[in-house]
Parts: sequence; C-alpha cells; structure tokens
Amino acid sequence: MTGPVDFHDYVEGFLAEADEHLGSAGKHLIELDRAARGGQSHPRAVRELFRSLHTIKGLAAMVGVEPIVDVAHEMESLLRAADRAGGRLPAPAVDVLMQGIRAIEERVTQLARKQPVTPAPPKLVAALSALVASPPAGAGGAAPRFGLPAEVDAKLAASEREQIAQGIRGGRRVVLLEFVPAPDKAERGLNITAVRERLSALGELVKVVPRSVATAPGSLVFSLVLVTSAENQTLAQALESEPEAVVALTLDAPAAPDAPDDSDPVVEADDTPAHAHGYVRVDIARLDDALEKLSALVVTRFRLGRAVADLTARGADTRALDVIVGEVTRQLRDLRGAIMRARMMSLAEMLQRVPLLVRGLTRNTDKAVALSIQVGDAELDKGVAEQLFPALVHLIRNAVDHAIEPREERRQQGKPEEGQISIVCDSLSGTHLTLTVTDDGRGIDGERVARKARQPVPRTDEQLLELIAMPGLSTRDEASRISGRGMGVDIVKRTADSLGGSLSLQTSPGRGTSFTLRVPLSVTIVDTFSFVAGAQKFVAPVAMVEEIIVVDASRIAHAPAPDRGRPAPDRAAPEWAALVAPVAAMIERRGQAMPLVSLATLLRLPGRAASPDSGKALVVRLTGRHRGEPIAYGIDRVLGQQEVVIRPLEDPLVRRVGVTGATDLGDGQPTLVLDLVALGAALFSQARADS
Amino acid sequence: MAHILVVDDSKIMREMLMACLRGLDSMSFAQASSGLEAIEQISLHRFDLVLLDLNMPDIGGIEVVEFIRGQDRLRALPIIVVTTRGDESSRERALGAGATRFLTKPFTPDIIIAEVQALLKPSSQVA
Repeated sequence: MTGPVDFHDYVEGFLAEADEHLGSAGKHLIELDRAARGGQSHPRAVRELFRSLHTIKGLAAMVGVEPIVDVAHEMESLLRAADRAGGRLPAPAVDVLMQGIRAIEERVTQLARKQPVTPAPPKLVAALSALVASPPAGAGGAAPRFGLPAEVDAKLAASEREQIAQGIRGGRRVVLLEFVPAPDKAERGLNITAVRERLSALGELVKVVPRSVATAPGSLVFSLVLVTSAENQTLAQALESEPEAVVALTLDAPAAPDAPDDSDPVVEADDTPAHAHGYVRVDIARLDDALEKLSALVVTRFRLGRAVADLTARGADTRALDVIVGEVTRQLRDLRGAIMRARMMSLAEMLQRVPLLVRGLTRNTDKAVALSIQVGDAELDKGVAEQLFPALVHLIRNAVDHAIEPREERRQQGKPEEGQISIVCDSLSGTHLTLTVTDDGRGIDGERVARKARQPVPRTDEQLLELIAMPGLSTRDEASRISGRGMGVDIVKRTADSLGGSLSLQTSPGRGTSFTLRVPLSVTIVDTFSFVAGAQKFVAPVAMVEEIIVVDASRIAHAPAPDRGRPAPDRAAPEWAALVAPVAAMIERRGQAMPLVSLATLLRLPGRAASPDSGKALVVRLTGRHRGEPIAYGIDRVLGQQEVVIRPLEDPLVRRVGVTGATDLGDGQPTLVLDLVALGAALFSQARADS
Repeated sequence: MAHILVVDDSKIMREMLMACLRGLDSMSFAQASSGLEAIEQISLHRFDLVLLDLNMPDIGGIEVVEFIRGQDRLRALPIIVVTTRGDESSRERALGAGATRFLTKPFTPDIIIAEVQALLKPSSQVA
C-alpha cells in the first residue's frame, strides 16, 4: 500500500493544464468575437470554449480552488445555452466571458504564487447568470438536413447542424467517412485518436458516431462527418481506406449554397485542431536541472581532453583515448541537442494570448486596432520565452495605450481609423531571433521627450531609445503620455540585456514606431569557435560566423577618413565604409569590399595589438538596420571549435555591448563569449553618431 | 488482476484517479483521453471496470455508457461515471443510460477506493 493520496499534490499539474486551457479558451473567444461582429454564429468555438472551462472547473474542484469553480461554472452555463442555440451568444456575452477568463487567470496566478485566492467577483457572477437568462439573437428556424444516415443524423446537436450548414454555404464539402478499428491497426498507432487528428488537419471534424457492426473486428465502426476542401483520395489515405468509401453530402435545406466567392472566410480562418496529443508537460526547473548537469559534464569533457592532450605532448600513445574523447564529444552534443529540443516552445504558442490582450486594452476606448502576428513556426527556449513575454507585453501595451491615436484623431490625419499593430519574427542564423512590434501610430517626438526629461535632444533613434529607456523617465508620465512612449521601456531594455540580446527603435513622427527585440533562441550551451585576439582567448558562436578568411595584405585598402559628416559622393563603397573608416581598413572578398576591424583594437585590449594586416579574420553579417552588411574581425589565430557553457555576466561593470557572457574552456580561466553581430552594429551606430 | 480503463481528457485527472487506486492489490490500468478512444479500447480489449468522465472533446460520457450497454458482451461491465458539480442533471441521464455508479468531483480518495472495491469484489470472488 502506498501512502494516502493528497489531491493538493496535483496543484502543479493543475496549473499546467489550466494554463493550456486558458490559452485555448482565449483563442476561441477571439474567434467567437470575430464571428459575432460579423453577425455569425461559431458553434465549434462555443463548444471548445465550453469544454476548456468545464475541464478547468473539474480540476479546480479536485484541488480545492472554489473561486475558479464558481466563475467557470457560470461561464459554462452561458456557453451551454449558446450551444443549444446553435452556437449563438447574446451580444454582450463576449465581453463578460472575457472578464471571466481574466478572473480565472488572476486566480491561477495567485495559486501559482502560493497567494490566497480571492473569491469570485460577485458582479461578474451576476452578469454571467443574467446573460444565461437572456435569449440569444437570431436563433431558430428549421433544422437543416444533409442526407446523413438516420443513425448519424439523430446524434447531431443544433450547433453541429449549424456548423455543417456554414461549411457548405462557405463553399466546402461535407463528407461521411468510416473508420473500422482493429487490433493490428491500433498496434501501428492507427486508432480513433490518430484518425481524428489526421482528419482535423484536413478540415473541421464535426461529429464522430460509434456504431455496432457485428462483422467488424471489434464489432465497432466509427462514422465521421467532416467539413473539408480536401480530395477524396487524400481523405481515404488518412483513414487508410479506399476513396470510394468517402461519401459527399449535400445541404437539403431550402437555402441554396452560395458561390464560394460570397462566403465570409473569417470564421473558417484558423482551423487548428484544439488538442495536441502526445505531449508531456515538464516543469522548466527540471529541464534547467538536466541542463545544469549536462553543463558540468561538458566542462569535465574539456578537462579530459586537456589531460589526454598533455599525455600526447609527453609522448604517450593516446590514439585509443583520442577516439573515446571524440566519441564522448559527439554523444554530449547529441544529448545537448535532445535536451535543447525538449526545452523549445513555439513562438506562436507564446503569443496565443496577445489578441485577447489587445482586445482588452482597446475595450472602453475609442480606438480600433487590427493586430497581425507573423511568427511562422519559430521556436525558442522556454526559459527565454518566460522572460521575453512580459517585455513583449510592455511593448504591445505601449503601442495600444500611447501610440495608436483615437479614431477621430486618425481620421483627421488621413489615416485609416483602424490602427495597425504587427508582431513579426525573423529567425536569424539559428542562434537568435528578432521580434519586431510595429505600430502606425503617432511616433515618438524626441524633442518633447527631451524637453520634459531635461536632456539634450537626441539626434538618432539610438539616442532616443537611450533617453526613453532611462529608468527615471517612466515615472514622469507627463512626458511619456505626450510623447506616446516611455512606459516601461527601461524594463524591456533590461530584459533584452539580461538575455544577452538587444533592443532597438525606429520611429517616425506621425507615422509610427518599431521596437525590435533581438534575443538568443536559447541560453547556456552553444557551439563556438575559440580564438586569440590581442593575446586573449575568446569564443564566438559558430552559427554567427559566416566564414573564416586568411587576411591577405595585398587585398587591404585603408579607407581615407571621410569629410566630417559627408562621405565622398562618388565612391563605389557603401555608406558604412565611410562610417567605420576611423577604426577599420577595407578588405576585398569575392569582388566585394567590406570593413576589416582589428578585434584587439576594437576591444581596446592592453598590450601590443596584432596588426589586422596579418592573421585571420572572422566574417559576420549584420542584422537590423545594417542587415546583410558583412564585416570582418581581424584576429591572431583560431584555436578550435568547441561547445561551451555560457554563463551570463552578472556584474554590470563587466557587462558591455558585444559580450554575451563568460565560459570556462576547461582551463579554469573565464573566457568571454562575443556577440560579433551586436559588436558590429554598435560600431556602425557609434561611427554614425560621431560623423 | 483487475484491468481498469480510466477515461478523462485531462491527464492530471487520470493521474489523480490512478494514484488513488494504485494502493489496491493487483490492479492494472489503461487510459483513454476521449470518449471515442474509450469505445475503441473497450471494443478491442477486455476490462473489469471503467472510470468515465462525462465531458470530453468528441462524444460525451453518456454516449459511451449507451454504447457499452448496447453490446451484449459488455452489459455487465461496471462503469463509474465521474463528473463535476453542476452536472447533477447528468446524474439521472447517466444512471438511466446504465452507469453503475455516479461520483461528483471533488471526491476524496477513500470514496473512489470504496466504490471500486465494492464493484470488483463479486466478480473476483466468482473467478
């Protein structure tokens, strides 16, 4: 016998599942909102929302969080009524449901922080139960039929009929499919859950009805009703059956199907399956622990390598040992890869709640905001995501609160009434990503900010960013409100810095602002080149270095210093060539000129710096404003390629642009990890400001 | 050895149910995360008892009960329906459809252990 079971031990699991369900609930509520504004019902979203809340409620009851049970219960009743009405909600319901989700979120957060959970807000509960009583708009009418077998048709709920009818009116097909489960299929992983997943990827799976059929292996056949645009062939493949087994259905109801062009695609827009199976949620702390242990192993591997190298140097035959060291190195790399992959989460998932956030921010204001999120399938480390998300929320909040103008003001300026906010992700070289939050609002008026902050007027966006990121400025809300920015930018900048990334700004008064966060995809272990510059060892991520070249003195040209602030107009070299001229020479590579900077000189290393005219150079391509521009860093020599554990530099005195952290190469000495891209960007910006 | 099917779309809920019962002698478990998966598993394998949640992504627990009771082979299979407060109306429907017992969340480990033991005893004595 094991000890007594205490359900409170499952709070952690509850938090994880609640989080997932709240994310999905938020998404479906946004879909419902969109549909409601277009005067449409959205039966599927209603059902999914209901289910999420029901699960949250049941789990909350088990772990004893009554306030969440109370709120979820009322929301659920409202949604059950909506489901019975074919997926229609009373008009004011979306807002109240949104408040409900927020109320649950607040309480989940309290629980996670081990704070007392506040009781359900009585006003909210009253508002929800009042809505349950009010009849939804536009319900009723004859139930549409689709020529389904009676056995299946009898099982359809009103909302499911509506869902099918909408699908057909939207120009899609409704098909009836059959899946016969069998032990051999189940062994191959082809079970009803797999079939549902496959079909959900091909359309909207409206209904699955199990039927007893004596001739089937388990006396069981599943009939599946799917709204889809896929071909019979594709559908049959998903079930591993024949295309002839796919039966297309028609809408028998009086309303004839509209032409596809007239259909409103809004409701059908993002048709992702609501449930992803086969995932295990792991506490990030456990993954951190695994990485920590791996990190120790990597350092041990270095020491082993050095010990073997010492033996070799003393003339011992270490060939067998070398092979083993090589093998251990490879296995460690594989293990690291496996752990890092387990830590990755999709950016789209991280941003799932942003639409809800934006809608919440614009509620009760006279602003309209269209949000677009283009992040593709980018992934990043959970640890990074956890820190990054609050920073991103700051930027979005600022954009809505301060940058986007009220409708009237926008109209007067000849702008569309609806403001635009976009979040775009660019994946860079497999080590970093940039997230850019752009608005088409009023832009930041540098002069005004400077005046209010009693600082000199910034001449560049970089200087402006420095100004608005001053910790003191955020409290002078006059300045920030008038300028339209400033709230919490210091926090965003600090987050970027602490992640070893950067924040940049581009703004244009009256036209809008872009903030770009550049952060590493993951922290900790990275593949690096180690090299010597100015008698010091450094490492830089392999993925950042495009090429290592041998510096050929005959191909170097020292660029003449430009006229102050005015590069010579007839030069073939690009603008930056003049900008970096004070610290750089020019080198030609494959017919293209690029600046060559001595790393030792750039980092102002003590001692005699090697001339950039000799040795090797690391070629890096810049991002951001100077995107794509190459720059070569002169170094003394390359030591090798190795995986290193990067530790952030805690001491702010040591921290500087271009230095990501420190690592131990196994010799017990800290070695700096360089971000050559950031270093180059800083160099260019500095040169620009000086000129 | 009693083979129990635990059906709930919430993984943590399944874990809680199994944690309660693991202390009992000779129990083995299978899990289903949806009503359809439950029907599939019940059709293909033999179980001594089913713990069934009512609210699931595809078809509800009531339909699962109806389906099970519609099969001659499964008429006597004990089904404990587990549901959440507020679903009291489902109680009549579930029992009407043929559920053996009905439990409302939250419940304590003792209750679920007592219910399972009570339902498994007669059959194990016969066997």
